[in-house]
Amino acid sequence: MTTYTTVGKPIPRVEGTHKVTGNSTYAADVQLPGMLHCKLLRSPYAHAKIVSIDTTKAAAHAGVERIVTADDLPEFEARYMSNRAYNLLAGEEVVFHGQPVAAVLATDATAAEEALELIDAVYEELPAVFDPLDAMRDDAPPARAPVGEIDRSESKGHVTVEVEEEQSDKPSNVVSQTKFSRGDVEAGFAESDVVVERTWRSAMMHQGYIEPHATVASYDPISEELTIWTATQGQFFVRDQISRMLRIPETKIRVIGTELGGGFGGKIFLTQSLAAVLTRITSRPVKLVFSRSDDLVGANPAGQCVVDLKTGMKNDGTVTALQTKVIYNSGAYPGAPVVIGAILIGGYYKFPNLEIEACEVLTNKVSVGAIRAPGAHNVTLAIESQMDMMARELERDPLDVRMQNAVEAGDEMPSKAVYSSIGLKECLKAVQDSEIWRDRNERPATPGKRRGVGIAVGGWLGGLQPAGAHVELNGDGTLNVIVGSNDITGTNTSFAQIVAEELAVPLDMVNVVTGDTKTAPFAGMSAGSKTLFTVGRAVKAAAEDVRSQLLGVAAERLQAKVEELEWKDGVISVGGDAEKSIKFRQLAGITTGFGAQYPPVIGRGAISARQQAPGFTAQVAEVEVDEETGEVTLLRWGIAQDAGFAINPLSVAGQMQGGATQGMGIALWEEMLHDEGGRLINDGLLDYRMPTALDVPNIETYIVEVPSEDGPYGARGVGEPSIIPGAAAVGNAIEDAIGVRVAEAPFTPERILRAMGKI
Amino acid sequence: MRVRIRVRYNAPHMRRFDYFAPTSVEEAVSLLQERGDGARLLAGGTDLLVQMKEAGVHPSAVVSLHAVDELRGISDESDGGLRIGARTLMNDVAAHETVRGAYTALAEGAGVLGSTQTRNMATIGGNIANAAPSADTAPPLAVFDAEAEIAGPGGTRTLPVIELFSGPGSTTLETAEVITAFRLPAVPDHTGSAYQRHTPRKTMDIATVGVSVKLTLADDGSIGDAAICLGAVAPTVIRAGEAERALAGETPSDELFASAGELAQAAASPISDVRGSAEFRRYLIGVMTRRCLGIALERAQA
Repeated sequence: MTTYTTVGKPIPRVEGTHKVTGNSTYAADVQLPGMLHCKLLRSPYAHAKIVSIDTTKAAAHAGVERIVTADDLPEFEARYMSNRAYNLLAGEEVVFHGQPVAAVLATDATAAEEALELIDAVYEELPAVFDPLDAMRDDAPPARAPVGEIDRSESKGHVTVEVEEEQSDKPSNVVSQTKFSRGDVEAGFAESDVVVERTWRSAMMHQGYIEPHATVASYDPISEELTIWTATQGQFFVRDQISRMLRIPETKIRVIGTELGGGFGGKIFLTQSLAAVLTRITSRPVKLVFSRSDDLVGANPAGQCVVDLKTGMKNDGTVTALQTKVIYNSGAYPGAPVVIGAILIGGYYKFPNLEIEACEVLTNKVSVGAIRAPGAHNVTLAIESQMDMMARELERDPLDVRMQNAVEAGDEMPSKAVYSSIGLKECLKAVQDSEIWRDRNERPATPGKRRGVGIAVGGWLGGLQPAGAHVELNGDGTLNVIVGSNDITGTNTSFAQIVAEELAVPLDMVNVVTGDTKTAPFAGMSAGSKTLFTVGRAVKAAAEDVRSQLLGVAAERLQAKVEELEWKDGVISVGGDAEKSIKFRQLAGITTGFGAQYPPVIGRGAISARQQAPGFTAQVAEVEVDEETGEVTLLRWGIAQDAGFAINPLSVAGQMQGGATQGMGIALWEEMLHDEGGRLINDGLLDYRMPTALDVPNIETYIVEVPSEDGPYGARGVGEPSIIPGAAAVGNAIEDAIGVRVAEAPFTPERILRAMGKI
Repeated sequence: MRVRIRVRYNAPHMRRFDYFAPTSVEEAVSLLQERGDGARLLAGGTDLLVQMKEAGVHPSAVVSLHAVDELRGISDESDGGLRIGARTLMNDVAAHETVRGAYTALAEGAGVLGSTQTRNMATIGGNIANAAPSADTAPPLAVFDAEAEIAGPGGTRTLPVIELFSGPGSTTLETAEVITAFRLPAVPDHTGSAYQRHTPRKTMDIATVGVSVKLTLADDGSIGDAAICLGAVAPTVIRAGEAERALAGETPSDELFASAGELAQAAASPISDVRGSAEFRRYLIGVMTRRCLGIALERAQA
């Protein structure tokens, strides 16, 4: 086994101290001379015709410079209008509650806010539809005017799948669907000893990043250049989209991805286009910062999902058949994770027969965006609950039946794609060996409560995208690493480790810079668990390039052949001979100084990624349930996850714990609630509940390392899998505790009491 | 159908206001009198500032009580009772030895409100004057028959705390009146009390249902006196009078407490909202009242 000096070691995040001491600069901190503050008037209806918008009074308000409505905006081609980002302000109709209808630009934020109340907008309400099942009925009102071609450029950044959805041809709220089949499900169910059939629901939820959306855009009418400071996971994506929308060459757009206060898939492209248009209209810098309420009402949360699932198993624990219909509520614009949901629900186990149908339905709710592993937790709740229910029915160990049927390298997904090396079984084994699982029947419950333990697995295929990186040697021997990926998970720390490892220098000699879109080499959005997997490879290649350039210089200087050189402890020598050696630091000097004889060392790494490295996880939850109040307390949690190779185990464990915590939120608390008019009623963090430190138990992490085929040092994406199985694990633990199954997440006390027949 | 806009979610924000920091109650009262209904009192600010930023509350004047030192502190009364200044911090109430020993339910209510940070700002007077039906100190103060001392333009008066509330967020206080303290009567021997609330989260939350009870046992171990007060299940906190009367004179038992729980359920008129349905709230009252009675009994017997 290779021994490494820097990769594989736990390293605290390089930007961590700045963040926790309040010294990071976020997009909302950017102040420019002459800057205007933008506030948005939002629709009070979920579906309505806009009759008129009178801005006379508001425009006269002190401090107000300009009020913009749809009439003032550039027109885009109809084929783009299925994309939420092109619908900057509602024109003829509003299609979700909270949709922006007017933008006030004022010299200060308070004046802009005051002016909002002076705008007189008149609407005519239209029939609206909110539940996806209602929206699918033949007599359902259309959620909106028909959409054209569906623009999927954003969702492809999160997961790379080679399957195209079918788009509906007749007007319908069902805008796309995907079908997979294998074998003969009827025959499969016929040979089953147990068949379970249930409907599973999971709620619309918010990604829960701590920093609301924020963008500052500044247009220079002389150079015709647009500069955008923004909280985004994908600065190049923002640049490309804005270039296409506004027909500005990419050379004229500079997107500066600021430090991010969390993204979780929700911070890709939302406020940037409007801010860009507004700065072009006014030729003044424009700041658009969401309040928490703006963000809950009008950003891009994760969608609600309904899964009808029928599964069968034989007495010996072998799975037989799976038949399902997965329905994602996409909100008012397309963008739900249909294909990935369809793959994952049948992608964890070797079902010989399956029939999967997944579709995406428009309703008059805010349109959805990505979340950590978009779509995965919804379908995993269904399949992982039913695996437990079938095992229970057959009195078999729920972990054993999973192990028995788990997919491994070479197995086909429902899409017929084939798994490369994966670690699902290894993750199950790690949970099997954990004390939480092993001693699950030994620990007594608190008097008056019932204790239960549940497990569940999850997997994520991961995204692919080409990426580049530069590594430059400075005169003092330190190294700058320049990447274009926005750091949301500690990737810059890991890049530094890679360069330190490859060049055998101390970590503090390496400085990683996220450049902007004019200075950094290209990188895809930081999404799809692919940043380290793709950009990390480019960084490694750039470091290798630096190494070979330096060896070339050293060979010439020492009058030796490259093959004869030895690189050790910052010294390059001919076969270890101290007389014939040169220090790394000296090499830096002779490639940069006055009169230096050698060219500067600029390493270049550019890679394409073609082979996904799916990441699996298995998790175990121990809960206590108060049967009288329906309250669930999480007592212990264990998570095993295949990281391929943990370049920074501290980061990996952090990703595992963070995702597991979000999974707990999905299981027990997080749900966006709407009134009968489709208005969000929990538009603050008191009533949109995410777990606090007191609600979350200690989380044990078991890092599993089944090397990936293409990742740096065998690493695979680790960001997303951890969120996936939480709800299923908690649901299984609840049934273990009280013998009752709740089929709708979050499992609130009220839902548990109803399932128990107590209310 | 043509409907005019109902403004909602349009970036609620704080507006300009005048700010005063009087150093005496008299000064505060006269400022309030001067500024009329547009003025609001600021104690800890954990409710008022949030309302001004997010809930459309726009006072023209804010009169802060932070420099009125006489409003702060807890003292023993000559009759064996306790006097708690209105500006006493929640964490100070929760940590006070006499409150913890004799008025346990109040220590519990003050100790669960918000978070540690909130409790280091929030005051007991503010919690009551804000008049939320879910206020965590209201049911405990009510079961101890606490009285509020009120200063106003016409002098001072006292009023049972339970009579202060007239609806969600509204009180029977007159314009320019200030709650200055709460007087809690002496607690007889063999008394136990408890406050419990249901919240979805363990902390940083607001009661879906709150229940406080106080039991005083007679020498023979039977219940001499019982008080039950419910929070968040009616427009104001309410006493469950029938349940209290059904307990008086009876020998404590699980069955008795269960039936008191049922009577308490009947007293409530909960609504369905974002924190739970009326049905769920009514159900919880039964369980929580029974459990609180059990805890209070143990404490009374200790």
